[in-house]
Amino acid sequence: MASITEKAMRAIFIFCGLAIILFLVGILYILLSNSMPGLIELGLGPFFAVDRWNPGAYGEPTYSLLNMIYGTLMVTLGALIFAVPVGVAAAAYLAEIASPWEREFFKPIVEILAGVPSVVLVFFGLVVLAPLIARAFNLNSGLNAFNGALLVGIMALPTIITLAEDAITAVPKEYRHASLALGGTRWQTIWKITIPAAFSGITASAMLGMGRAIGETMTVLMVTGNMVARPESFLDSVRTLSAGIAIDIGDVVFNSIHFHALFVAGLLLFLITFAVNLLADILIQRKPEVSK
Amino acid sequence: MKTGVLDRGIVFEKKKSEWRSHELIGFWALRLTLVLVLFILGIIVFDIVSKGAGVINWEFLTQPPRVGMTEGGIFPAIVGTFYVTLITIAFAVPLGVGAAIYLNEYAVQGKFTRLVRMSVRNLAGVPSIVFGLFGMAVFVKIFGFGPSLIAAGFTLGLLTLPVTVTASEEALRTVPRAYREGSFALGATRWQVVRTVVLPRAIPGILTGTILGLARAAGETAPILATGAAFFLPHLPDSIRSQFMALPYHLFIMSTQHHAISQVRPIAYGTALVLLALVCLLNLAAVLLRKRYRDRVAKGL
Amino acid sequence: MLKTNSNVAIDKNVIQEASKPEPAKTKQFVDNEYCEVKVENLNFFYGSVQALFNVSVKVQEKGVAALIGPSGCGKSTFLRVLNRMNDLIPGTRLEGKVSIHGENIYAPNTDVVNLRKKVGMVFQHPNPFPKSIFDNIAYGPRIDGLKDKAVLSEIVETSLKGAALWDEVKDRLNEPALALSGGQQQRLCIARALAVKPRILLMDEPTSAIDPIATQRIEDLIRDLCTDYTIIIVTHNMQQAARISDYTGFFLQGEMIEWGKTSGLFTNPEDQRTEDYITGRFG
Repeated sequence: MASITEKAMRAIFIFCGLAIILFLVGILYILLSNSMPGLIELGLGPFFAVDRWNPGAYGEPTYSLLNMIYGTLMVTLGALIFAVPVGVAAAAYLAEIASPWEREFFKPIVEILAGVPSVVLVFFGLVVLAPLIARAFNLNSGLNAFNGALLVGIMALPTIITLAEDAITAVPKEYRHASLALGGTRWQTIWKITIPAAFSGITASAMLGMGRAIGETMTVLMVTGNMVARPESFLDSVRTLSAGIAIDIGDVVFNSIHFHALFVAGLLLFLITFAVNLLADILIQRKPEVSK
Repeated sequence: MKTGVLDRGIVFEKKKSEWRSHELIGFWALRLTLVLVLFILGIIVFDIVSKGAGVINWEFLTQPPRVGMTEGGIFPAIVGTFYVTLITIAFAVPLGVGAAIYLNEYAVQGKFTRLVRMSVRNLAGVPSIVFGLFGMAVFVKIFGFGPSLIAAGFTLGLLTLPVTVTASEEALRTVPRAYREGSFALGATRWQVVRTVVLPRAIPGILTGTILGLARAAGETAPILATGAAFFLPHLPDSIRSQFMALPYHLFIMSTQHHAISQVRPIAYGTALVLLALVCLLNLAAVLLRKRYRDRVAKGL
Repeated sequence: MLKTNSNVAIDKNVIQEASKPEPAKTKQFVDNEYCEVKVENLNFFYGSVQALFNVSVKVQEKGVAALIGPSGCGKSTFLRVLNRMNDLIPGTRLEGKVSIHGENIYAPNTDVVNLRKKVGMVFQHPNPFPKSIFDNIAYGPRIDGLKDKAVLSEIVETSLKGAALWDEVKDRLNEPALALSGGQQQRLCIARALAVKPRILLMDEPTSAIDPIATQRIEDLIRDLCTDYTIIIVTHNMQQAARISDYTGFFLQGEMIEWGKTSGLFTNPEDQRTEDYITGRFG
């Protein structure tokens, strides 16, 4: 009796572990199997042709993801340019300089920022930031890549701060003590010893922030303007891969070419984030170079 | 600057004040980044609270939208978010805790556990819209749920799963090994060890992590776009197969898709505030739970 | 399953045998057919690292057997072989034969759970569960399926009395066990082990984390308990071994160098290495 329970529980738990792998593989499988008909019908070329995404066009629909890839790149890079320096600096401060009460005060704030639903944050971007940007740059609308990048950057900030702080904290005390004992100032110790030692962890934090930025959907959907034209500058309206899917997902005809094309976009998005996260994973596993 | 050993004392004093000021400037520069974070959060919360608070009253919270969603309340969206979160819990918590128990209590650490953990981390990185695509293809179409509470709940559950697994594993790992050994040495089976010693001790930690995961799921929009969220419904969902209104989706609609966007702006602000408050409440609950749990551990119960 | 019933008859014989006076100065146990613990040619590995080399020993029923030796010599590993706690460490391997109460405990059909109920263990650091005193003691009987509150109370009382803790805690059974002092916690752990009615008690340096006065009490307790239980204790404190044990085994680098009556081993060791160790030349 006891042994049956024992065996059953073991089987249940193994199943749960297995399910996690199955879900990941399942996502990849679903993306592949649903994009295949589209890829077979059209080939890979039209998805990357210098063209537009216009699957609804009468007569000759086009499926180029190129402009959306540009859009994704712009928003992601813009977000990182803002979020990585700010995030790493904040992490360095929290890990190395902050007094206990400052940590007690700032850490929950970072946590709360992480908890703000993206749709709320973006709503703020839409109604407050966009008019400001429009006025500052003398534009008709503040819905552009810049606005998107800023908000996505804010969204990636907590991830970067938390993980970079972990990486910096993980640097052995001995390093710091050695540097300080040689007459290094705390400032020198931070920049010459601690941060270089935590470099792979910090890079990983940036990568994971990047993963979030690439996949972020609602932000870009609501504040980047969603024009499918090729963007020229950060003040242009852009559409990203994730927003492109979100816009069409609601009313796409099941099993149409358009439907399959959306899965191609999803597959691309999945593969990019997968690669980025895998890289971050490898970097995180690489602990700071410490002698055993 | 080059002075003899005997003059060290003076050099030391001079240098000190020199690097002192450099360091102070640097420290302040870094501190400012955190102040910036605080400022961003503050301005967002201030904007939403100041403009949303006036809209919120009893009617707003308990009435459905009226007159083409330009008047009335957001009651169906609140209820929908509540229901979908329940399904998310039912999906993510047993699976997530089960997987964590497997990883931490049952499995021999090796290739397979590494694979599972890697999957968890990668699942955490999958963009939410891709979860939406998956949910649409699998739960809506293949399983035939149609756009419904259950399809959306499962999709969100999948999205929350990595958080649940990670938090549960962390909680399980804090249970001292000595407890397990003590229990095994008394002749407990593995499941008895888990049930009587490990889980009671880990459950507050698991709960905390799960609530944080749910707070995230409750605020997600992209995964429910095509799996069950509805623009407007005249009545509340009556089964898990019904479509539903949800707070984040409602906010999205009210701020970008509605035909009279500027007219319904106050409603959008009110919705944003309710959603923000809900998520903050969940987070607060998690923090309080964590604190109570720590106190209890400190007291040794 | 340990077939306890079928062994009851043998039991009595052994008790009689064991109570016969041993010839003085035997370095080896009398090689009678039945022993409480009988280990033959035991080799033990952590992965590719061998921790025990060809250990053979026989432990008689009742009394205290002490295992001494420098740290890392394998004495704790040996102790954990006897209730198969090493099973919990992945990658461990064992060769040889270990019998307890006449049964090979590494036979494929051994019920490890039952084995651990018969062979209790007390650890180096007291490890009461974060539950009340009562629930700690009642833990073993409860996982065995016992629910009757009255019976549980009785077991708790007997066990606590057995571990000489009853008078100190009888008025606060519902308080957290972790509120007790270190020495009390360790006696609680002994009581907890007694509550499952074991035949053998394994103790892994039970007093090394405890102050001298509490140590004294636990040593007294061990002497009391050894009239009813077979106690095998690992200690790095040679005085302790000399004070409380009837038999002593000396481990060095995974080998059991010498095994014999405590009085003999400490006054007239057979092996030079044992002498070096007990006279303090190393370790």
